[in-house]
Amino acid sequence: MISVKHLKKSFGDNEVLKDISIDVNPQEVVVVIGPSGSGKSTFIRCLNMLESINGGHVVIDGKDLTDKKTNINEIRTNVGMVFQHFNLFPHKTILDNITLAPINVRGMNKKEAEEKAMVLLAKVGLAEKASAYPDSLSGGQKQRVAIARALAMEPKVMLFDEPTSALDPEMVGEVLEVMKQLAKDGMTMIVVTHEMGFAREVGDRVVFMDNGYIVEENEPKALFDDPKHERTKAFLSKVL
Amino acid sequence: MDFHFEIVQDYMPFFLKGMALTVGVSLAGVLIGLLLGLLIALGKMSSNQWVRLPFNIYINVFRGTPLLVQLLIIHFGIVPLFMAQSNPVVSLVIGLSLNSAAYIAEIFRAGIQSIDKGQMEAARSLGMTRVQAMKLVILPQAVKRVIPPLGNEFIVLLKESSLGSVLAAPELMYWGQAAAGQYIRVWEPYLTVALIYLVLTLSLTYLMNYIERRMKTDDLR
Repeated sequence: MISVKHLKKSFGDNEVLKDISIDVNPQEVVVVIGPSGSGKSTFIRCLNMLESINGGHVVIDGKDLTDKKTNINEIRTNVGMVFQHFNLFPHKTILDNITLAPINVRGMNKKEAEEKAMVLLAKVGLAEKASAYPDSLSGGQKQRVAIARALAMEPKVMLFDEPTSALDPEMVGEVLEVMKQLAKDGMTMIVVTHEMGFAREVGDRVVFMDNGYIVEENEPKALFDDPKHERTKAFLSKVL
Repeated sequence: MDFHFEIVQDYMPFFLKGMALTVGVSLAGVLIGLLLGLLIALGKMSSNQWVRLPFNIYINVFRGTPLLVQLLIIHFGIVPLFMAQSNPVVSLVIGLSLNSAAYIAEIFRAGIQSIDKGQMEAARSLGMTRVQAMKLVILPQAVKRVIPPLGNEFIVLLKESSLGSVLAAPELMYWGQAAAGQYIRVWEPYLTVALIYLVLTLSLTYLMNYIERRMKTDDLR
């Protein structure tokens, strides 16, 4: 599904991603953990070219993002993204937030898009908020809407960039619950998070990043209970 | 000081005609300026520095030179190249439009750039092109933020349209000067003209405040 080979990314002189290679299989849930500044957010943002790539290759669904001929907008319709700060469109109702891209990018007609949006809203438990504006929602609700908005494009992969980091603690659960359901439904997911419980429970594989490299990756149980590298041990001892 | 109201009375029809033209050219100037300004703002935000260059030059030239100089060059230099008989009202509208476009471009740019970067990222991550994201997500939000500074620019433009008198465009100030010349009086014509400008700008201020309030309550639906 996703194949990353020797990915490199710098901001000026600061090399944030030094040499990242990883393959993600269809329906797999990969959880990326690591200290802040390790490059995990930059890594996930490279997967839909929100950050330009300085070296290496990212191949999604057979298409190389670094190939100039690749239509990046088309790739992005297949790669959903959920942001730390939700980034809902404040001038649109919840329903319009969700239907905006299906109507304008996919060319779906309004009625069909709205019917589909209502199904998705029901799925994230917010059907009654369809005509509300984002400002009137709690953080957890906003993030569930953001997930529904991404799903409306029927992506093949979902990227989550610290989806619960900006939430009050009591709202983390409702968002993770939606993500869990998504994983159960067989969505391919890459999740950058600090929620170790989620990583252990839902992840098929956990990747530990530090200083621009993937230091260690393994099944959750193995990585959490028996980390091989010193840096992984040091990090886990601080967060667990 | 004796104040001759009959002078004001005498010239009132002309002042009113001038006022109508003042409002007209200012409105035309700001509308054309809005259109040009938006294009210039978008051009100036291009990621390609060679594309940015001409827009930068435009803004610097029109903000960096006096409007009076621009009007004289346009009226006596540029317009005659295209029109056999140059018309001062046309020159005035061109001058006000080009000048306000530079300021409005900067207002738009500030408004667009004040929108959180995450909005563009969210739009693009859904597969929208840059243009779609601008049109559907960024501009509708930016418009609300640029209303107050645009109102300001409109007020400035309305006052600066008085420079049209130098081109003999028969706007409000032109008739003020005409009256002053005919009666060799200062207070009656100029105070009247000042008062009319004040009424115009205050009405405009009130209108802008009203629009701003409407936009705010729109947010709270």
